[in-house]
Amino acid sequence: MAWIAERRRQSRFEAVVLPHLDAGYALARWLTRNDADAADVVQEACLRAFRYFDSYRDGDAKSWILKIVRRTCYDWLEHNRPAEVVPLELDGDPEGSVHSPPVGTVDADALLQSRSDLRRLDQLIERLPAQLREAIVLRELHELDYRQIAEVTGVPIGTVMSRLHRARAALRRAWDGKECGDAMR
Amino acid sequence: MRCDEVHPRLDAYLDGELAEAERTPLREHLQSCPDCGPDMAALERLHDGIRRSAPIYRAPDVLRSQIRFALRREAAPTVPASLPHAPGWLAYAASILLAIAVGSGGTFVILGERQTDATDTEILDSHLRSLLGTHLTDVASSDQHTVKPWFAGRTDLSPPAVDLAAEGFPLVGGRLELISGKPVPALVYKRREHVINLFVMPASRSDRGETLTRHGYNLRHWDEGDLGFWAVTDAGPTELAEFERLFRAATTS
Repeated sequence: MAWIAERRRQSRFEAVVLPHLDAGYALARWLTRNDADAADVVQEACLRAFRYFDSYRDGDAKSWILKIVRRTCYDWLEHNRPAEVVPLELDGDPEGSVHSPPVGTVDADALLQSRSDLRRLDQLIERLPAQLREAIVLRELHELDYRQIAEVTGVPIGTVMSRLHRARAALRRAWDGKECGDAMR
Repeated sequence: MRCDEVHPRLDAYLDGELAEAERTPLREHLQSCPDCGPDMAALERLHDGIRRSAPIYRAPDVLRSQIRFALRREAAPTVPASLPHAPGWLAYAASILLAIAVGSGGTFVILGERQTDATDTEILDSHLRSLLGTHLTDVASSDQHTVKPWFAGRTDLSPPAVDLAAEGFPLVGGRLELISGKPVPALVYKRREHVINLFVMPASRSDRGETLTRHGYNLRHWDEGDLGFWAVTDAGPTELAEFERLFRAATTS
């Protein structure tokens, strides 16, 4: 019966995807910066993943679901907060941060202010442009390697390296209280 | 290695992404260079700081339940149905029942003075699963003219889907369950905040006329003509007996 086949498909899907639900939720939470929005995005992402499930081949399930969650986040942001998804300039240039013009939408003033209020790293991460934020979150908190981050974010490994470098440089400047550099402006 | 070669590789070194052939000379450089050494130390401090201070976000249990519920709706063959999101009581039931499900390994452990047959066990399991938010209704409707035809073609049995809202037992929908490997129609009723699942199978000729109570769930079974009915709920035994009486009266009149 088709109905039974569908149920089996659902069970298989849950076995593959639900173990990574926390990881997906954490990524959505960092990208939307809000619990309720993260929950909505993750639910939508799971339904999308379920529809695409036939295209999933046994492999890196975590990267697969994170990729779909990320895509759903960006669709959601483009619809609800378009200002947050401005493309990064000078992507792919590892030294781009040194001379780069303003990037993303990070608020340098807010970041500077944060130097006086505890300079909490999680708050600094939240103020990074989305593309730098996701790189640092996927690397430091999800512990993905460069190849997986490239897969999830759909960019070459060189771009992953460049974004990580820029994210860390910006965080270090704000956190260590060193001179405020260009990457965050 | 010179500083201008080391500098662009610091991140990759920290992340363990550098080839062995590059790692050793870079490490040696860091030990001796007054500029690159502290640079690397600052990167490591940042790395530790992030892992120490960043909050760990976990998907709420309610979200997990809602996703299972949404998937079930997505997977189910549908007629126009309108049960939007998992309602609050469902999430509440899930949070309480999760502990029971985990505690019993996902399977109802039947203990007690009287032997319970395999069908009862499966029905109790199915009832528990439905409350966990994975699968309450495939067709959500209080209209018997929607619920009854929905089963046609999906099962050989035609369950009498009567609404008992006037008597305090509203019909909220129906779904298919697998019992002993066969698709079995289940009608879903509510009694205040409680769910009553009514499974319909061929008559068993083992009409008991009594309520079986296990782990706070009550189960009644009766036959009516060719059909056998198994009603299970967390509502009280008196209410379940009342439900049976009303249901039989409404379907045999």
